[in-house]
Amino acid sequence: MGLNTRVKAASAAPVQGQRFFSLLRGLFRRPAHGFGTFIFLLFFLLALFGSVLAPYGANEQIVHDVRQAPSAGHWFGVDHLGRDVFSRVILGAGDIFTLAGIGTLLAVVIGTSLGLLSGYRGGWFDELLMRFFDSLLALPALLLALLLLGRFGPSRQSVLLVIVAVYIPIVARVVRSVVLSVKTRGYIEAARIQGESSARILFREILPAVLPALAVEAALRFSYAIFLASSLGFLGVGVQPPSPDWGLMVNEARDTVSQTPWALYFPAGAISLLVISVNLMADGLKQAFQVEVQI
Amino acid sequence: MYKPNSTLLSKGLALALLFVFALMLSACAPAAQPGGTLRVAIQPLVQTDPALISSDAEVLVANSVYDYLVDIDSLNNNPVPRLAADWEVSDDGLTYTFTLADGVSFHDGSPLAAEDVVWTFDRLRDPAAEYATSSLYTNIATIEATGRLEVTFTLTQPNPFFLYDLSDNHALIIKSGTTEATDFNGTGPFTVENYSPEDRIVLAANPAYFVEGQPGLDHVEIIFFADEGAMVDALRGGQIDLVLRMSTPLYESLQDVEGIQTTVINTNGFDLVRLRSDREPGSDPRVIQAMKLATDRESILELVQQGYGALGNDIPIGPLYTSYHDPNVQPPARDVEAARALLAEAGYADGLDLTMHVPNTGGRPDLAAVLKEQWAEAGINIEISVEPEEIYYGEDGWLEVDLGITGWGSRPYPQFYLDTMLVTDAVWNESHFSDAEFDGLAETAGTTLDENERIEAYSQIQQLLAERGPVIIPYFFPVFGAISDQFTGFQLEAFPGRTDLHTISFK
Repeated sequence: MGLNTRVKAASAAPVQGQRFFSLLRGLFRRPAHGFGTFIFLLFFLLALFGSVLAPYGANEQIVHDVRQAPSAGHWFGVDHLGRDVFSRVILGAGDIFTLAGIGTLLAVVIGTSLGLLSGYRGGWFDELLMRFFDSLLALPALLLALLLLGRFGPSRQSVLLVIVAVYIPIVARVVRSVVLSVKTRGYIEAARIQGESSARILFREILPAVLPALAVEAALRFSYAIFLASSLGFLGVGVQPPSPDWGLMVNEARDTVSQTPWALYFPAGAISLLVISVNLMADGLKQAFQVEVQI
Repeated sequence: MYKPNSTLLSKGLALALLFVFALMLSACAPAAQPGGTLRVAIQPLVQTDPALISSDAEVLVANSVYDYLVDIDSLNNNPVPRLAADWEVSDDGLTYTFTLADGVSFHDGSPLAAEDVVWTFDRLRDPAAEYATSSLYTNIATIEATGRLEVTFTLTQPNPFFLYDLSDNHALIIKSGTTEATDFNGTGPFTVENYSPEDRIVLAANPAYFVEGQPGLDHVEIIFFADEGAMVDALRGGQIDLVLRMSTPLYESLQDVEGIQTTVINTNGFDLVRLRSDREPGSDPRVIQAMKLATDRESILELVQQGYGALGNDIPIGPLYTSYHDPNVQPPARDVEAARALLAEAGYADGLDLTMHVPNTGGRPDLAAVLKEQWAEAGINIEISVEPEEIYYGEDGWLEVDLGITGWGSRPYPQFYLDTMLVTDAVWNESHFSDAEFDGLAETAGTTLDENERIEAYSQIQQLLAERGPVIIPYFFPVFGAISDQFTGFQLEAFPGRTDLHTISFK
C-alpha cells in the first residue's frame, strides 16, 4: 500500500508540471489576462525584494526635500512629512501582500475544509453552518469588518483576523456548491462502496475536482482582501501609522492633497492597479481551467 | 379632451416652478447686502449648556448668544468690559466689585440684574455639579448682589488672574433660576432663530443688544461640517463665508485665492508629549531627558507645522506671554549619543519599547510619526495608536497611559497650565508630576500681587521644568482662519471659538 502510493506520486509529478505550464500558457493567451498576470508578478517581486529596491526607509524623513514634486531623485515625490513616496509604495507592496496573502490563505484553507465537510456530510451540520454563513453574508463585508475592528481595536493582527473572518463564508459556499455537484458522480459512489474513509474521499477524490474553482476563487478573494485592507487603512481603523499601508497613505495625503497630490495619486494608483491585475488574472485562471464559477 | 388639458397643466406647473426656482436663485445671489447673512462652517455642536461647552463650535455659539461678565482683549491680553461696565479691586486684592451695564435684557425680555450674575457663578462653582469650572472657582468665598446692578466677589486669597478666571469660556451669564440652560436665553448680540442639530444653527441679530451698532449682521448661519477639507471646499465654492480653524496645508491652499482673505495668528497653545513620571519607565527622570535629547525640534516645526508657529522649549509659558516668558531657558540641543547613554544608565541599554497614544486631530498624528523616527535613532521604539478624541479622552484614559500626546488650547494667562496640568493635585495632571519645589513656586506665582515677584517665580519655574520637567513641548501652534473678502471686522482669536461674530459686518 505504502509502496504503491509512492510510485503513484512519483509518476504524477511530470504530469503536474506539464499542467502548470499549460496553465501559464492559458493565462497569457489573451493580452488582458497576460497583462494582469504580468503586473501581478511585478508587484509580487516588489513585495519580495521591496526592502532592497526602496531607495529610502518607509518612515525616513528627508527634511530638506519635504513636499518635493516627483523628480529624478524622488520618482514619486516626497510627502508632507518628508518621506519618499516611491519607497513607501514599494515597501507597502510587501505589507499588503503579507496581509491580504496570509489572510486569503487562511480563509481559503479554513473555508475549503468547512465547505468540503458541509457539502459532503449534508444534514443538520450543513444546514446550521450555511444558515450561519448566510446571516454573516447578509452584512456588507466592510460593515462586518468595522464591527469586528470595533471589538478588537485597530492593529495589523485585527485586520488579518477580519479578512479571514469575512472571507471564510464566501469560500466555504463556493466549495460546497462544487462538492454538491461532484459527490453524486459515479466515481465517488464507487470509492464509497470500496470502503474508502470519508477523509480520503474528501481530500483525494473530491478536493481535486474543487481545485480549479478554488484557484479562481482564491485569486478573487485576494483582490478583495487588498481592497478591504486598503479601505480599512483609509478609514483609519486598520493598520496604524506610520506604516506604509496604501490605504493609510491615501488617508494621510487627503488633507494635504492641494500641496502634495503625488502622495495621494501613487498609492491610490497602486491599489487600483494591483486589484485590477489580480482580477484580470483571476479571469485568465477561469478561462485556463475552463470552469464556470459563480461569484 | 381631458388628457391634453392635463399635459398643459403640468407644463404650466413646470414652467411656474422653474420661474419660482429662478426667482429663488436670483434672491440668493445678491445676499451680499449690508446687514445680510454670514455663513460660518464649523464642527457640529454637542453641548449647548454654557457650563458644559468646550469645543470651538460650542463656544462660538455661546459667545454669540450669551455675554461674558468680563472679556479679554486678545491683542493686549487685557481684561475689558462686557456685561460689567466697570470694576474696582480692593487694595488687598480680595474684593472685586463689578458694576453691570444698564439697560441689558435677556432675549425673553426680562432685564439683567445682579442676581443673574450671582446665580450664574454660584452654579458654575457648585462642587456637587462637577463642572469644569468648579475647581477654577474654589478660591471664591462669597458672591453677593450689593445693588441692583452691583456684584461683589470676595476671595479667600489674592488671585492676580481673577479677571481672567471670570472670563473663562464657560462663564456666560444666564438668567437666574434657569432650569434648562440649553434654551439659549442669553443677553448676547444674537438670538437663536432655529437650531437643527447636526445640520445648522441660525442666529438673528438681537435688536435690543446693549452695545451701540452691534451686531453688524442681520443673520448668522452656522453650518455644521464634519471635515475641515469640506469646509475649505465650501469656502472656495462660495457656499460659506468663514472658516475659523483649519490645517496648515488647507491654509496654504487658500493663499492667492481670489475673494478670500486668510489670517494666521500665533498662540500659546501647544501639543504636549508627556511621559507618566510616577511609574516605570518615566519614574526615572533620565528617560524623559533622553527623549528630550532625541527630539529634533527644528525638523518637527518644519515637517509638522510647515514652519508656522513657534519653537517650544518644553515649558507651557510661551513667548507670547512676553514678560513671563524667559527666553534664556532653551531646550537641549539634539544629541542622539547622549540620549542613548542616558537610556543605558537608566537600564534601557537594549532600547525602550512604548506605545504612544495619539488623538486623531490637528498635527498630532504627524508629530507622532516624526517622533517615532527621531527617537528610534536613540533606541526608543514607539508603537503609535491613533485614536478618535472621544476614545482618547473618554473615561479619562489619557490620564492613565504612560506615553501620550495631548493638545492644549491657548489661554490668556500661563497660570492655568501650571494649575491644571503640573501641580501635584492638578485635575489634568497627565504626567503625574509631583514636585514640592514646583508646587511652591506655582502657588507663589498664582497668589502674589507683586508683578516682579511673579515674573521671578515664573523664571524659576521655567528653569526647574527645563531641568526635570516631565513634558516635551516641541512647538506652539498657530491658528488659521479664512473669510470672504466681502466682510470686515473679523478678528480671529487664539481660541478660535472665542472669535466675536458681532463685530463682523459687510464692507
